[in-house]
Amino acid sequence: MGVMRMGYAHVRVTDLAEAKAHYANTMGLYETHAEDGRVYYKGWDEWDHHSVVLEEGGVGVVKFGWKVRYSSDLDEIERRAQAFGVTVERMSRGENPEIGDGIRFTTPSEHVFEVYHEATLIGTEVGTHNPDAFPRHLVGVGVPGLDHALITAEDVKGMERFLTEVFDFYATERVQTSLEDDADYIGTWMTSNNQIHQLAVIGGPQGKLHHFAFKLGDWSEVGHAADLFSMDDVPIDVGPTRHGITRGQTVYFFDPSGNRNEVFAGGYLAYPDRPVHVWTPEQLGKGIFYHARELNDRFTTVLT
Amino acid sequence: MPNVTIDPTGEVIWLEPEETVLSGLFRAGFAYTVGCRRGGCAICKVDCLAGTFGYNRRVAESVLSADERTDGTCLSCRAVPQTDVTIRLREGDLRMVNPYLRQINERARQRAEALAAAQPASGVTSKE
Ligand code: FES
Ligand SMILES: [Fe+2]
Repeated sequence: MGVMRMGYAHVRVTDLAEAKAHYANTMGLYETHAEDGRVYYKGWDEWDHHSVVLEEGGVGVVKFGWKVRYSSDLDEIERRAQAFGVTVERMSRGENPEIGDGIRFTTPSEHVFEVYHEATLIGTEVGTHNPDAFPRHLVGVGVPGLDHALITAEDVKGMERFLTEVFDFYATERVQTSLEDDADYIGTWMTSNNQIHQLAVIGGPQGKLHHFAFKLGDWSEVGHAADLFSMDDVPIDVGPTRHGITRGQTVYFFDPSGNRNEVFAGGYLAYPDRPVHVWTPEQLGKGIFYHARELNDRFTTVLT
Repeated sequence: MPNVTIDPTGEVIWLEPEETVLSGLFRAGFAYTVGCRRGGCAICKVDCLAGTFGYNRRVAESVLSADERTDGTCLSCRAVPQTDVTIRLREGDLRMVNPYLRQINERARQRAEALAAAQPASGVTSKE
Protein backbone atom coordinates (compact mmCIF):
# COMPACT_ATOMS: atom_id res chain seq x y z
CA MET A 1 0.00 0.00 0.00
CA GLY A 2 1.29 3.36 -0.40
CA VAL A 3 1.32 7.06 -0.14
CA MET A 4 3.81 8.05 -2.83
CA ARG A 5 4.26 11.68 -1.94
CA MET A 6 2.76 14.92 -0.74
CA GLY A 7 0.91 15.78 -3.93
CA TYR A 8 -0.18 19.27 -3.06
CA ALA A 9 -0.02 21.95 -0.42
CA HIS A 10 -3.06 24.24 -0.48
CA VAL A 11 -2.39 27.45 1.42
CA ARG A 12 -4.07 30.76 2.14
CA VAL A 13 -2.62 34.10 1.12
CA THR A 14 -3.81 37.55 2.08
CA ASP A 15 -3.12 39.14 -1.31
CA LEU A 16 -3.34 36.91 -4.34
CA ALA A 17 -1.56 39.28 -6.71
CA GLU A 18 1.49 39.56 -4.46
CA ALA A 19 1.47 35.84 -3.81
CA LYS A 20 1.35 35.11 -7.52
CA ALA A 21 4.35 37.34 -8.07
CA HIS A 22 6.26 35.39 -5.44
CA TYR A 23 5.32 31.85 -6.45
CA ALA A 24 5.53 32.47 -10.19
CA ASN A 25 8.29 35.04 -10.62
CA THR A 26 10.56 34.33 -7.65
CA MET A 27 9.98 30.60 -7.15
CA GLY A 28 9.43 29.94 -10.85
CA LEU A 29 6.34 27.75 -10.54
CA TYR A 30 4.14 27.25 -13.60
CA GLU A 31 0.54 28.36 -13.32
CA THR A 32 -1.74 25.59 -14.57
CA HIS A 33 -5.18 26.82 -13.58
CA ALA A 34 -7.04 29.66 -11.87
CA GLU A 35 -10.63 29.91 -10.63
CA ASP A 36 -12.54 31.88 -7.97
CA GLY A 37 -9.71 33.28 -5.91
CA ARG A 38 -7.51 30.21 -6.33
CA VAL A 39 -4.42 29.68 -8.40
CA TYR A 40 -2.84 26.30 -9.16
CA TYR A 41 0.84 25.71 -9.81
CA LYS A 42 3.33 23.00 -10.57
CA GLY A 43 7.10 22.90 -10.67
CA TRP A 44 8.91 22.21 -13.91
CA ASP A 45 9.81 18.63 -13.04
CA GLU A 46 6.37 17.68 -11.79
CA TRP A 47 3.95 15.85 -14.05
CA ASP A 48 0.64 16.03 -12.21
CA HIS A 49 -1.65 19.01 -12.70
CA HIS A 50 -0.64 20.95 -9.60
CA SER A 51 1.36 20.79 -6.39
CA VAL A 52 0.68 24.21 -4.89
CA VAL A 53 -2.68 25.92 -4.54
CA LEU A 54 -3.01 29.51 -3.37
CA GLU A 55 -6.35 30.64 -1.99
CA GLU A 56 -7.07 34.28 -1.29
CA GLY A 57 -8.08 35.15 2.27
CA GLY A 58 -6.12 34.57 5.46
CA VAL A 59 -2.84 32.77 6.00
CA GLY A 60 -1.76 29.23 6.81
CA VAL A 61 -2.60 25.85 5.36
CA VAL A 62 -6.01 24.82 4.04
CA LYS A 63 -5.07 21.20 3.37
CA PHE A 64 -2.49 18.80 2.09
CA GLY A 65 -3.05 16.28 -0.70
CA TRP A 66 -1.39 12.87 -0.67
CA LYS A 67 -1.17 10.73 -3.78
CA VAL A 68 -1.38 6.97 -3.42
CA ARG A 69 -0.13 4.37 -5.85
CA TYR A 70 -3.20 2.17 -6.18
CA SER A 71 -6.87 3.04 -6.01
CA SER A 72 -7.24 0.23 -3.47
CA ASP A 73 -4.95 2.22 -1.19
CA LEU A 74 -7.82 4.67 -0.71
CA ASP A 75 -10.01 1.96 0.83
CA GLU A 76 -7.16 0.71 2.96
CA ILE A 77 -6.32 4.18 4.29
CA GLU A 78 -9.98 4.92 4.90
CA ARG A 79 -10.27 1.70 6.90
CA ARG A 80 -7.11 2.44 8.88
CA ALA A 81 -8.12 6.04 9.62
CA GLN A 82 -11.52 4.87 10.85
CA ALA A 83 -9.84 2.24 12.99
CA PHE A 84 -7.77 5.02 14.47
CA GLY A 85 -10.97 6.83 15.34
CA VAL A 86 -10.94 9.50 12.68
CA THR A 87 -14.03 10.42 10.66
CA VAL A 88 -13.40 9.98 6.95
CA GLU A 89 -15.45 11.48 4.14
CA ARG A 90 -15.41 10.61 0.47
CA MET A 91 -14.26 13.26 -1.93
CA SER A 92 -15.33 13.11 -5.53
CA ARG A 93 -13.57 13.88 -8.76
CA GLY A 94 -13.52 17.56 -9.48
CA GLU A 95 -13.91 18.82 -5.92
CA ASN A 96 -10.32 19.81 -6.51
CA PRO A 97 -9.79 20.70 -10.17
CA GLU A 98 -8.07 17.87 -12.08
CA ILE A 99 -7.91 15.62 -9.01
CA GLY A 100 -9.80 12.32 -8.91
CA ASP A 101 -11.94 10.61 -6.30
CA GLY A 102 -10.48 10.23 -2.87
CA ILE A 103 -10.98 10.61 0.83
CA ARG A 104 -10.71 13.51 3.23
CA PHE A 105 -10.21 13.61 6.97
CA THR A 106 -8.94 15.87 9.72
CA THR A 107 -5.87 14.53 11.48
CA PRO A 108 -5.46 14.44 15.27
CA SER A 109 -3.28 17.54 14.74
CA GLU A 110 -6.31 19.27 13.14
CA HIS A 111 -4.87 19.45 9.66
CA VAL A 112 -7.03 18.50 6.68
CA PHE A 113 -5.62 15.71 4.55
CA GLU A 114 -6.96 14.59 1.20
CA VAL A 115 -5.84 11.32 -0.28
CA TYR A 116 -6.27 10.64 -3.98
CA HIS A 117 -5.07 8.32 -6.67
CA GLU A 118 -5.57 10.21 -9.90
CA ALA A 119 -4.55 13.63 -11.11
CA THR A 120 -4.57 14.99 -14.63
CA LEU A 121 -1.20 14.30 -16.17
CA ILE A 122 0.32 17.43 -17.67
CA GLY A 123 3.88 16.18 -17.95
CA THR A 124 7.14 17.76 -16.94
CA GLU A 125 8.53 20.75 -18.79
CA VAL A 126 11.20 18.55 -20.40
CA GLY A 127 8.87 15.74 -21.41
CA THR A 128 9.74 12.06 -21.49
CA HIS A 129 11.15 11.66 -25.00
CA ASN A 130 14.93 12.07 -24.90
CA PRO A 131 14.44 14.75 -22.25
CA ASP A 132 16.87 17.52 -21.55
CA ALA A 133 18.23 17.95 -18.04
CA PHE A 134 16.23 21.06 -17.29
CA PRO A 135 14.12 23.63 -19.15
CA ARG A 136 16.12 26.30 -20.91
CA HIS A 137 14.19 29.32 -19.66
CA LEU A 138 13.47 28.84 -15.98
CA VAL A 139 12.14 31.84 -14.07
CA GLY A 140 13.69 32.91 -10.75
CA VAL A 141 14.70 30.01 -8.54
CA GLY A 142 13.00 27.62 -10.93
CA VAL A 143 12.12 25.01 -8.33
CA PRO A 144 11.52 21.56 -9.82
CA GLY A 145 8.80 20.68 -7.36
CA LEU A 146 7.25 20.47 -3.92
CA ASP A 147 9.24 18.48 -1.36
CA HIS A 148 7.78 18.33 2.15
CA ALA A 149 6.09 20.25 4.93
CA LEU A 150 6.53 20.83 8.65
CA ILE A 151 3.38 21.22 10.73
CA THR A 152 2.76 21.71 14.44
CA ALA A 153 0.69 19.55 16.76
CA GLU A 154 0.02 19.40 20.47
CA ASP A 155 0.66 15.66 20.56
CA VAL A 156 3.65 14.80 18.38
CA LYS A 157 3.84 11.23 19.57
CA GLY A 158 0.18 10.76 18.74
CA MET A 159 0.72 12.17 15.25
CA GLU A 160 3.65 9.84 14.69
CA ARG A 161 1.45 6.93 15.66
CA PHE A 162 -1.32 8.23 13.39
CA LEU A 163 0.98 8.61 10.38
CA THR A 164 2.50 5.21 11.07
CA GLU A 165 -0.79 3.39 11.42
CA VAL A 166 -2.79 5.20 8.74
CA PHE A 167 -0.18 6.15 6.10
CA ASP A 168 2.40 3.45 6.83
CA PHE A 169 4.98 6.21 7.28
CA TYR A 170 8.09 5.59 9.33
CA ALA A 171 10.23 8.04 11.29
CA THR A 172 13.73 8.82 10.04
CA GLU A 173 14.64 11.28 12.78
CA ARG A 174 13.10 12.35 16.02
CA VAL A 175 13.58 14.88 18.79
CA GLN A 176 12.81 13.26 22.14
CA THR A 177 12.75 14.54 25.68
CA SER A 178 15.22 11.77 26.57
CA LEU A 179 16.64 8.52 25.27
CA GLU A 180 14.42 6.50 27.60
CA ASP A 181 11.66 4.29 26.23
CA ASP A 182 9.00 6.45 27.81
CA ALA A 183 10.39 9.66 26.31
CA ASP A 184 7.96 12.15 24.90
CA TYR A 185 8.44 13.37 21.32
CA ILE A 186 9.16 17.00 20.51
CA GLY A 187 9.49 16.41 16.79
CA THR A 188 9.32 13.63 14.22
CA TRP A 189 10.42 13.47 10.59
CA MET A 190 8.48 10.90 8.56
CA THR A 191 8.37 9.33 5.11
CA SER A 192 6.96 6.43 3.16
CA ASN A 193 9.95 5.84 0.90
CA ASN A 194 13.59 6.86 0.38
CA GLN A 195 12.85 10.59 0.56
CA ILE A 196 14.27 11.72 3.89
CA HIS A 197 11.00 13.30 4.97
CA GLN A 198 7.63 14.01 3.43
CA LEU A 199 6.04 15.41 6.55
CA ALA A 200 7.57 16.52 9.82
CA VAL A 201 5.68 17.39 12.97
CA ILE A 202 6.93 19.48 15.88
CA GLY A 203 5.24 20.39 19.12
CA GLY A 204 3.10 23.51 18.92
CA PRO A 205 -0.47 24.65 18.40
CA GLN A 206 -2.93 22.47 16.51
CA GLY A 207 -3.54 23.01 12.83
CA LYS A 208 -0.64 25.34 12.13
CA LEU A 209 1.87 25.48 9.32
CA HIS A 210 5.56 25.90 10.08
CA HIS A 211 6.67 25.73 6.45
CA PHE A 212 6.34 23.91 3.18
CA ALA A 213 9.41 23.26 1.10
CA PHE A 214 10.51 23.06 -2.49
CA LYS A 215 13.31 20.78 -3.58
CA LEU A 216 16.59 21.91 -5.06
CA GLY A 217 19.64 20.01 -6.29
CA ASP A 218 22.56 21.06 -4.14
CA TRP A 219 24.32 23.71 -2.04
CA SER A 220 25.02 26.02 -4.94
CA GLU A 221 21.38 26.06 -5.97
CA VAL A 222 20.39 26.84 -2.39
CA GLY A 223 22.88 29.72 -2.32
CA HIS A 224 21.66 30.98 -5.67
CA ALA A 225 18.08 30.90 -4.40
CA ALA A 226 19.09 33.01 -1.39
CA ASP A 227 20.71 35.54 -3.75
CA LEU A 228 17.46 35.81 -5.68
CA PHE A 229 15.52 36.31 -2.44
CA SER A 230 17.68 39.33 -1.68
CA MET A 231 17.11 40.68 -5.18
CA ASP A 232 13.35 40.22 -4.84
CA ASP A 233 13.17 41.51 -1.23
CA VAL A 234 11.92 38.19 0.07
CA PRO A 235 12.38 38.11 3.87
CA ILE A 236 14.92 35.40 4.66
CA ASP A 237 14.31 33.71 8.00
CA VAL A 238 17.44 31.55 8.16
CA GLY A 239 20.21 30.38 5.92
CA PRO A 240 21.69 29.25 3.73
CA THR A 241 22.63 26.64 6.27
CA ARG A 242 22.36 22.92 6.88
CA HIS A 243 19.92 21.01 9.02
CA GLY A 244 21.57 18.53 11.38
CA ILE A 245 18.29 16.64 11.16
CA THR A 246 18.03 15.17 7.61
CA ARG A 247 21.43 16.75 6.71
CA GLY A 248 19.56 18.83 4.14
CA GLN A 249 20.78 22.22 2.93
CA THR A 250 18.28 24.96 3.36
CA VAL A 251 17.00 28.50 3.28
CA TYR A 252 13.88 29.43 5.24
CA PHE A 253 12.03 32.47 3.92
CA PHE A 254 8.57 34.00 3.92
CA ASP A 255 6.03 34.45 1.16
CA PRO A 256 4.28 37.85 0.85
CA SER A 257 1.57 36.74 3.31
CA GLY A 258 4.04 35.55 5.94
CA ASN A 259 3.77 31.81 5.25
CA ARG A 260 7.18 30.27 5.72
CA ASN A 261 8.67 28.54 2.69
CA GLU A 262 11.89 26.57 2.38
CA VAL A 263 14.18 25.47 -0.38
CA PHE A 264 15.71 22.15 0.55
CA ALA A 265 18.51 20.17 -1.07
CA GLY A 266 20.16 16.89 -0.21
CA GLY A 267 19.21 14.76 2.74
CA TYR A 268 20.43 11.19 2.90
CA LEU A 269 18.45 8.22 1.61
CA ALA A 270 15.90 6.92 4.04
CA TYR A 271 15.21 3.22 4.66
CA PRO A 272 12.66 1.76 7.02
CA ASP A 273 15.26 -0.49 8.61
CA ARG A 274 17.77 2.31 9.20
CA PRO A 275 17.99 3.09 12.91
CA VAL A 276 16.18 6.33 13.72
CA HIS A 277 18.38 9.36 14.44
CA VAL A 278 17.46 10.64 17.86
CA TRP A 279 18.12 14.21 19.01
CA THR A 280 17.78 15.45 22.54
CA PRO A 281 16.48 18.93 23.39
CA GLU A 282 19.83 20.43 24.44
CA GLN A 283 21.14 19.67 20.92
CA LEU A 284 18.01 20.81 19.11
CA GLY A 285 19.74 24.01 17.96
CA LYS A 286 22.35 21.95 16.14
CA GLY A 287 19.68 19.60 14.84
CA ILE A 288 17.73 22.40 13.21
CA PHE A 289 20.52 24.83 12.28
CA TYR A 290 23.73 22.82 12.06
CA HIS A 291 26.07 25.82 11.81
CA ALA A 292 24.59 28.43 14.17
CA ARG A 293 23.80 25.59 16.60
CA GLU A 294 21.13 27.59 18.30
CA LEU A 295 17.48 28.15 17.53
CA ASN A 296 16.41 31.68 16.77
CA ASP A 297 13.41 33.19 18.51
CA ARG A 298 11.28 32.59 15.43
CA PHE A 299 11.65 28.84 14.96
CA THR A 300 9.03 27.78 17.49
CA THR A 301 6.88 30.92 17.52
CA VAL A 302 6.46 32.08 13.94
CA LEU A 303 3.70 29.98 12.39
CA THR A 304 0.74 30.63 10.13
CA MET B 1 5.34 61.97 7.60
CA PRO B 2 4.47 60.85 11.10
CA ASN B 3 6.74 60.41 14.03
CA VAL B 4 6.70 57.30 16.14
CA THR B 5 7.44 57.85 19.81
CA ILE B 6 8.51 54.81 21.74
CA ASP B 7 7.14 54.56 25.24
CA PRO B 8 8.68 54.64 27.77
CA THR B 9 12.14 55.55 26.45
CA GLY B 10 10.87 58.58 24.52
CA GLU B 11 12.87 57.74 21.41
CA VAL B 12 11.31 59.47 18.40
CA ILE B 13 11.52 57.88 14.97
CA TRP B 14 10.65 59.65 11.76
CA LEU B 15 8.75 57.67 9.11
CA GLU B 16 8.62 58.10 5.38
CA PRO B 17 5.14 58.58 3.94
CA GLU B 18 3.30 55.25 3.78
CA GLU B 19 6.07 53.55 5.73
CA THR B 20 5.18 50.85 8.24
CA VAL B 21 6.13 51.12 11.89
CA LEU B 22 8.43 48.10 11.59
CA SER B 23 10.15 49.41 8.50
CA GLY B 24 10.65 52.81 10.13
CA LEU B 25 12.20 51.42 13.27
CA PHE B 26 14.57 49.15 11.37
CA ARG B 27 15.44 51.98 9.00
CA ALA B 28 16.28 54.10 12.02
CA GLY B 29 18.71 51.45 13.25
CA PHE B 30 16.58 49.60 15.78
CA ALA B 31 15.57 45.98 15.95
CA TYR B 32 12.96 44.11 17.95
CA THR B 33 11.15 40.81 17.81
CA VAL B 34 9.81 40.18 14.33
CA GLY B 35 9.04 37.10 12.31
CA CYS B 36 7.72 36.99 8.78
CA ARG B 37 7.64 40.79 8.26
CA ARG B 38 4.67 40.13 5.99
CA GLY B 39 1.67 40.21 8.30
CA GLY B 40 1.28 36.47 8.74
CA CYS B 41 2.70 35.42 12.08
CA ALA B 42 1.45 38.01 14.60
CA ILE B 43 4.79 38.16 16.41
CA CYS B 44 5.44 41.84 15.74
CA LYS B 45 2.47 43.27 17.66
CA VAL B 46 3.03 46.44 19.64
CA ASP B 47 0.53 48.59 21.49
CA CYS B 48 -0.47 51.97 20.13
CA LEU B 49 -1.00 54.35 23.06
CA ALA B 50 -1.75 57.50 21.07
CA GLY B 51 -2.42 58.46 17.48
CA THR B 52 -4.04 56.57 14.62
CA PHE B 53 -2.79 54.16 12.02
CA GLY B 54 -4.15 51.96 9.24
CA TYR B 55 -3.04 48.77 7.57
CA ASN B 56 -1.47 48.76 4.14
CA ARG B 57 -2.71 45.21 3.40
CA ARG B 58 -5.60 43.03 4.45
CA VAL B 59 -4.67 41.33 7.71
CA ALA B 60 -5.84 37.75 8.33
CA GLU B 61 -8.41 37.06 11.06
CA SER B 62 -6.05 34.48 12.52
CA VAL B 63 -3.41 37.18 12.97
CA LEU B 64 -5.57 39.99 14.37
CA SER B 65 -8.83 39.28 16.19
CA ALA B 66 -11.86 41.57 16.06
CA ASP B 67 -11.02 42.88 19.55
CA GLU B 68 -7.44 43.57 18.59
CA ARG B 69 -8.61 45.70 15.70
CA THR B 70 -10.02 48.24 18.13
CA ASP B 71 -7.97 47.95 21.32
CA GLY B 72 -4.83 49.66 20.08
CA THR B 73 -3.04 46.46 19.06
CA CYS B 74 -0.75 47.41 16.22
CA LEU B 75 0.63 44.76 13.86
CA SER B 76 3.77 46.74 13.27
CA CYS B 77 4.92 45.17 10.00
CA ARG B 78 1.68 46.22 8.29
CA ALA B 79 0.70 49.32 10.30
CA VAL B 80 1.08 52.69 8.62
CA PRO B 81 0.58 55.65 11.00
CA GLN B 82 -1.87 58.33 9.89
CA THR B 83 -0.84 60.72 12.65
CA ASP B 84 2.06 60.82 15.04
CA VAL B 85 1.79 57.71 17.17
CA THR B 86 3.14 56.53 20.48
CA ILE B 87 3.84 52.83 20.72
CA ARG B 88 4.92 50.52 23.47
CA LEU B 89 6.82 47.35 22.62
CA ARG B 90 5.42 44.26 24.25
CA GLU B 91 8.56 42.47 25.26
CA GLY B 92 10.37 45.69 26.01
CA ASP B 93 13.15 44.51 23.77
CA LEU B 94 13.92 47.40 21.49
CA ARG B 95 17.52 46.87 20.45
CA MET B 96 19.80 49.45 18.89
CA VAL B 97 21.71 47.58 16.22
CA ASN B 98 22.86 50.40 13.96
CA PRO B 99 23.55 53.80 15.58
CA TYR B 100 24.46 55.38 12.23
CA LEU B 101 20.95 54.78 10.94
CA ARG B 102 19.65 56.24 14.17
CA GLN B 103 21.59 59.46 13.59
CA ILE B 104 20.40 59.70 10.00
CA ASN B 105 16.80 59.25 11.06
CA GLU B 106 17.13 61.83 13.81
CA ARG B 107 18.48 64.40 11.36
CA ALA B 108 15.66 63.61 8.91
CA ARG B 109 13.10 64.12 11.63
CA GLN B 110 14.59 67.47 12.60
CA ARG B 111 14.64 68.58 8.97
CA ALA B 112 11.01 67.57 8.54
CA GLU B 113 10.00 69.47 11.66
CA ALA B 114 11.88 72.57 10.61
CA LEU B 115 10.17 72.38 7.25
CA ALA B 116 6.76 71.98 8.83
CA ALA B 117 7.40 74.96 11.13
CA ALA B 118 8.35 77.10 8.13
CA GLN B 119 5.12 76.23 6.25
CA PRO B 120 2.41 76.40 8.91
CA ALA B 121 -1.03 74.81 8.69
CA SER B 122 -0.80 73.10 5.31
CA GLY B 123 -3.16 70.49 6.73
CA VAL B 124 -2.28 66.85 7.02
CA THR B 125 -4.65 64.49 5.24
CA SER B 126 -4.76 61.06 6.71
CA LYS B 127 -4.47 58.16 4.36
CA GLU B 128 -6.90 55.25 4.56
S1 FES C 1 6.40 40.01 11.62
FE1 FES C 1 4.95 38.42 11.18
S2 FES C 1 3.05 39.54 11.37
FE2 FES C 1 4.51 41.13 11.57
FE1 LIG D 1 11.79 21.61 5.97
